[in-house]
Amino acid sequence: MYKEPAKPHTLSNFTTALDHLRSSVLRMSSLAQLNLKNSIKGLLERDDDWCNNCIAEDEEIDLLEMQIDHEGIEVMSRFHPFASDLREVISSIKIGANIERIADQAVNIARRARKLNEQPELPELHLLDNPIRLSLGMFDDAVSAFAERNAALAIEIKSRDKELDLLNKKLTDILINKMQDDSANLPSYLNLIFISRCLERIGDHACNIAEDIVFAVRAEDIRHLGKQ
Amino acid sequence: MTSTAATSARNFFSHAGKKTSFLRLFRNHFLTGLCIALSLLTLVPLFSIVVLVIQNGLPLLSTNLFTQLPPAPGMEGGGFGNAIVGTLVMVGIALFISVPLGILAAVFVNEYASASWLATLVRFVAKLLTGIPSIICGVFAFAAVVMTTHKFSALAGGIALAILILPTILLTAEQSLMGVPYAFREASFGVGATPFQTIWRIVLPEAMPAIMTGVMLAVARAAGETAPVLFTALFSQNWIKSIMEPTASLSVLIYNFASLPYAYHIKLAWSASLILVALVTLSNILAQVIFAPKHR
Amino acid sequence: MTTKASQDPLALSNDFVSGETNFIKVDNFKFFYGKKEALHGINLEIPSRKVTAFIGPSGCGKSTLLRNFNRMNELIPGVRHEGDITIHGMSIYDPSVEIIALRRRIGMVFQKSNPFPMSIYENIVYPLRIAGQNNRSILDETVERCLRSAALWDEAKDRLNDSALGLSGGQMQRLCIARAVASRPEILLMDEPCSALDPIATAKVEELIIELKRDFTIVIVTHNMQQASRVSELTAFFYLGNLIEFDDTRKIFNNPSMKQTEEYITGRFG
Repeated sequence: MYKEPAKPHTLSNFTTALDHLRSSVLRMSSLAQLNLKNSIKGLLERDDDWCNNCIAEDEEIDLLEMQIDHEGIEVMSRFHPFASDLREVISSIKIGANIERIADQAVNIARRARKLNEQPELPELHLLDNPIRLSLGMFDDAVSAFAERNAALAIEIKSRDKELDLLNKKLTDILINKMQDDSANLPSYLNLIFISRCLERIGDHACNIAEDIVFAVRAEDIRHLGKQ
Repeated sequence: MTSTAATSARNFFSHAGKKTSFLRLFRNHFLTGLCIALSLLTLVPLFSIVVLVIQNGLPLLSTNLFTQLPPAPGMEGGGFGNAIVGTLVMVGIALFISVPLGILAAVFVNEYASASWLATLVRFVAKLLTGIPSIICGVFAFAAVVMTTHKFSALAGGIALAILILPTILLTAEQSLMGVPYAFREASFGVGATPFQTIWRIVLPEAMPAIMTGVMLAVARAAGETAPVLFTALFSQNWIKSIMEPTASLSVLIYNFASLPYAYHIKLAWSASLILVALVTLSNILAQVIFAPKHR
Repeated sequence: MTTKASQDPLALSNDFVSGETNFIKVDNFKFFYGKKEALHGINLEIPSRKVTAFIGPSGCGKSTLLRNFNRMNELIPGVRHEGDITIHGMSIYDPSVEIIALRRRIGMVFQKSNPFPMSIYENIVYPLRIAGQNNRSILDETVERCLRSAALWDEAKDRLNDSALGLSGGQMQRLCIARAVASRPEILLMDEPCSALDPIATAKVEELIIELKRDFTIVIVTHNMQQASRVSELTAFFYLGNLIEFDDTRKIFNNPSMKQTEEYITGRFG
């Protein structure tokens, strides 16, 4: 299997454009990582400033997503990439879309966190610790896998998704039970459920990114393998 | 903004500095003028000949020239019909021998075995022959034909002329064949044609106009040559009856009559010159028309 | 294959099986220009009625191999070969195979369109005339058939007696395709047929190639990788006289197995 192209293109413009596209994706992903961490900080430290920061920065990410699309289309129309180059462009565009969704989930978390912060703190907040660690870890690893063109790491990310789903389901059950006992804090419990749901979605998007990386590097389509 | 643009424009165009530009302009015009003047100069002898020939040849021009025999020395009237026919016959014999031979040799040299030692030899000999003085051809034909048949004849004259023009025809034909794009041959071989079919149907028709130009050059040369004919066909006062007897020709007639002390004969020589020039020109134009490329 | 003597091995046989996978078979084929070995033992099986593209950098031997299929390379002095090429299982180098007959069974289209300096009509019937066919109605029928299959009939039907050299570049190349199919070959070899054409003329020729593969086995040499990916079903990548990779065109252009192929098609060569 031929993984990383050892040589630059004869046409240096082509290499420059592909490198630029790649660095745009990396910039977007580190921005999304930061936003996600800020929203989590706002949630766990009950600090609205972090949440506001995350919501404000989301616009930048939306712009970057569009920029990646434009760059990808430009590479295709100008240089007609084949094989690994073509896969890299296609997956960059798809990864950009998934990062944007992750950033949106971060904004959702930030909004829910602001609502939680208005209410008294619930001890159940720390039930989220595990899902947070897991989903953030998946996203971080997806970004590393993209940066390193590491297909093995990407495949490994997928295997963690089940655990996250399970945690989300358990947490939802627990919180629904609590809601019945403690109806005064019902909105807060609901917000916690939604945040858990957001974390679960982030894990899904990280998996999508991982799949795109495997496609780019190995030309293998590992989507929906279990369902067939 | 505009001022910087103006400066840029000045800088852009300032490289043709004023000091050099006058000299350069002068030199340019001077050399162009010189070329035109020299080209015109080459036309001077050419035009002088044509004008002189027409001026001196025209007064005696009549149908009699074509139908009557030359007058005896000191007499007036008559023409040189026999010399015109004799020239046509001898040039015809020369072409009959050298055109097929020359073209076929060229085909062999260029199409079949261009790298072989034989082709190289043929090419070398042909180039050598073009440089041989025409009188040598005459001497050779004299030795080879006149001495063996024991008579001066149109045939001997034709053979002498054939030897003279053969290398010209061969070399121009080879050049013409070379000028046919290889793509045509490739296309022909590609659909399964044999080399013979390719040459016969594609290459030769395509090369024909250029080959004919070479042939016409040869005709002009053969018709005008005196020395080889003088040795071999000699001259005759009568109409040609057989190619195996001495035969009159325009060039020898001009040579003979021009050296006679009779004014009328000298005038006849001028007329013969005019007709010779006219004949060569006419055949040239005819060949151009007949062999003009049809598909261009 | 029946015995050699019984029939002309290259004639259009009635029991011709569509979809023969080893229609043209190249068997450890080596080719030499003088002392220089241009092809180093090529093994290749080209299926019938498909478009097979040969790609590779200049001097990789793709044209050399193509020009061996109809033995056009033998026009060059000092060449020789080792190994074998078979068509329908019959060696093209078999002493019983006439080179003239071979070339009539294999049409060839060249890089530079090369119609003869004759009328459009005479260009197309040339292959028939050299085969001794002068029957007017057969010639007329051939001209129409060939011009139609070269998608040139509508443009040329009113000017059949005009010079072929008055056609546009793209029309000339399609005329050459028409001429190439006049002797009803089974195989069409195309040596960079669009390299001198503008994009519209190129598109027309490419469309024609896709049309023609219903009736012909087409092998096309091209420097244009987009063209190879557009028109061909199979692609062979050559480099330095070796066949590096031969596979489904989609595989070659999406995910080639060999590093050199990947480098070449992505433009990372040399």
